[in-house]
Amino acid sequence: MSETDVTAGRTPDGTPTGISRRRLLACGLAAVPAVVGAQLLLGSGPDDDAGAVRAAEPASPGEAYDPSAHEWAFVIDTTTCIGCGRCVEACKLENHVPDVPTFNRTWVELHVVAQDGTVTIESPDGGRYGFPAGDAPATASEPVRDAYFVPRTCMQCENPPCTWVCPVSATYRTEDGVVLVDERRCIGCGYCIVACPYGARYMVPAGETSPKGVSGVVDKCTFCYHRITRGMQPACAEVCPVGARIFGDLTNATSAVSVALGEKRVRAMKPALGTKPRVYYAGLEGEVQ
Amino acid sequence: MTVQVAGRALSLRPRVAWRAFRDEVVGMPRALKAWLAFLLLLCLIGAVAALLALPPGWEVFGTSPSFEWGILITAYVFFAITTSGLCLASSLGTVFGIEMFLPLEKRHAVLALLCLITAFGIIALDLHYPVRMVLGAVLSPSPFSPMWWMGVFYGVYLVFLMIEVWSIFFSHWNIHRAACLLSSITAVLAPTTLGAVFAVLGARPYWHGAFTPPAMVTMALLSGTALLGIVFYLVHHLQLVGYERARTLAIPAIRLLLTIVLTVASLVVAWQMLFGLYGIIPGLADATKAVLVGPLALQFWVVRVGLGLAVPLTLLVLPRTRTPRGLFAACCLVFVGIAADRAIFVSAGQIVPGTAVSGVVSSPYAEYGPTLVEIGVVLGAFGFLGLAYTLAERYLPMGEHMGHLRAAEADVAVPVGAADRPPAMTPIPEVSPTPVASPTPGQSPAQAPIGAPAVAPLVDEPGGAL
Repeated sequence: MSETDVTAGRTPDGTPTGISRRRLLACGLAAVPAVVGAQLLLGSGPDDDAGAVRAAEPASPGEAYDPSAHEWAFVIDTTTCIGCGRCVEACKLENHVPDVPTFNRTWVELHVVAQDGTVTIESPDGGRYGFPAGDAPATASEPVRDAYFVPRTCMQCENPPCTWVCPVSATYRTEDGVVLVDERRCIGCGYCIVACPYGARYMVPAGETSPKGVSGVVDKCTFCYHRITRGMQPACAEVCPVGARIFGDLTNATSAVSVALGEKRVRAMKPALGTKPRVYYAGLEGEVQ
Repeated sequence: MTVQVAGRALSLRPRVAWRAFRDEVVGMPRALKAWLAFLLLLCLIGAVAALLALPPGWEVFGTSPSFEWGILITAYVFFAITTSGLCLASSLGTVFGIEMFLPLEKRHAVLALLCLITAFGIIALDLHYPVRMVLGAVLSPSPFSPMWWMGVFYGVYLVFLMIEVWSIFFSHWNIHRAACLLSSITAVLAPTTLGAVFAVLGARPYWHGAFTPPAMVTMALLSGTALLGIVFYLVHHLQLVGYERARTLAIPAIRLLLTIVLTVASLVVAWQMLFGLYGIIPGLADATKAVLVGPLALQFWVVRVGLGLAVPLTLLVLPRTRTPRGLFAACCLVFVGIAADRAIFVSAGQIVPGTAVSGVVSSPYAEYGPTLVEIGVVLGAFGFLGLAYTLAERYLPMGEHMGHLRAAEADVAVPVGAADRPPAMTPIPEVSPTPVASPTPGQSPAQAPIGAPAVAPLVDEPGGAL
């Protein structure tokens, strides 16, 4: 059985394997050296400009950026994610995300589905350090029907509830489809945090600042807007060793994200809310909300 | 050199002012001194907590990304709906001209103003950038945001309340009537938009839906009525200014209103729970179960349902407890029940995490515990409200003035078929303007020297059925 099969808890054709928890955890441990190896191969951290080699298609460094010419989107392939947490680490470093486990712009969850349908979710330290065997979900009942990693982030909704509720218009959606926060306007009321159905926002805690050096305001994933407007990939997509995070421009039919949307069977999270996320999931189970 | 404060001449010379203050304190009844000392202690606790909570002190709150709104939001909601409820209760007299609710007017206006100031103080401490909020609401308004509208309505409500208080104490009856009408309208709009702040959030099934704004208004009316009941019982019990009218008109009026609203509120709570259990909406049933059998169950069954609804209703129903003291007990319990209700409401909306909390297994509930600083702010808020109102009761002419009562009377519609009969309204007896301990018979509190006690000494409970 291949590594991907075991980690995702499915055969290549998608049939559940009935994987045991012990095998799952053993696989999680095996992922750690793979992550370290991948980091060594790439040779640089996400805050190192030299590492930003995979350019996003539509814009390139030096070009004048035209937001009306782009529609950014993400496809996250849960069938390939190995839960290494490298994306979480990269995001933390790239965007000055507080070095606190509960504050993340992106995080990875381990979903374990028992035979009776009970779903146990765990995300130790936001999945930043992977999922070591000792941190296995203690409540997971045997036998396990399925198990997979679900990377989470802001869904950059087309119809974002967070922008609607902000009383001072501090959070807004750009023309190219990214929801941002104006830190000079944010009053720190937290309304957008409770309004977000995906738990993608947090208040910058004491002793920490946002990337622009402001305390006590809301922060969230921006698709690494400072990078994508310069023709680079978001930090998380940049460092993903298995290509589970596919980022690109929907206006470009040949972009990786457009191709992935055409080839993979994807779904959005919580579609009933009508938020129209711009982050799509491939291989996502129905239990995930 | 002197200044006039509430009709009293106060010297600005430090030595004279200090002597007058000392004489005033010495002349106070012992029970009043103890009460003021207790309130001052609460205010001191609140002041220390507020200093810690001010930026950059937001680490002193127990909130987290998965439980962003804590006890300060609960306290804000509680005081915000109470101020609205006070105005709604008294509007039955001031706007709709129902005679038995007329005596509520002056005290309601002062209480409503103080409650609103308290609510604003709490939310300013909860926000990280309150000044930016005021500027942002004006310079970059967001008309799609219920929170923006809530700020607008409560801001306008503050202005109308200030005009109402000013006009009632300075006898501008035409302005007063207009202010009463406008403040009553905003007193409905403000809590409904406060309810909408929660109701529009599709991410929070327990809050979401058209049911929330009217439920918020119901709880507002219940809370305001209960506070009026507490105050008017004390006016009656301590024989403060206007205690005769408190006994003969205000207390029966409050009892009637409390019975009706308490019954409606009980149905609202019952249907909210039943609807939640029937729901197939993800998260709604989980949140309702958290209230009924989960971590909020003790608070719900004991404080909310038992002490806040069942016992007060029993006190109002049983013939033996249909006394001012019984009403007072019912109002106190209802007031506590509403506080618990708002805490449950704010918590239940967040207790079912939408996503896995980082580092914690998402099942079953998100956790939050208020810090000492948050508790201190809330204690300080109650202390401020109690202290400010006690001082207002002692030093402002709180007796209902004949002018505004008659002005309000003029608005009372004559019942159909009564045109040929003598005037429908019985003459309103003259309000006793003079406290028992006034230094000179016939001298109003406003004329009394600063050192004279304006409050009657404590007397025994007059008792008797309503």
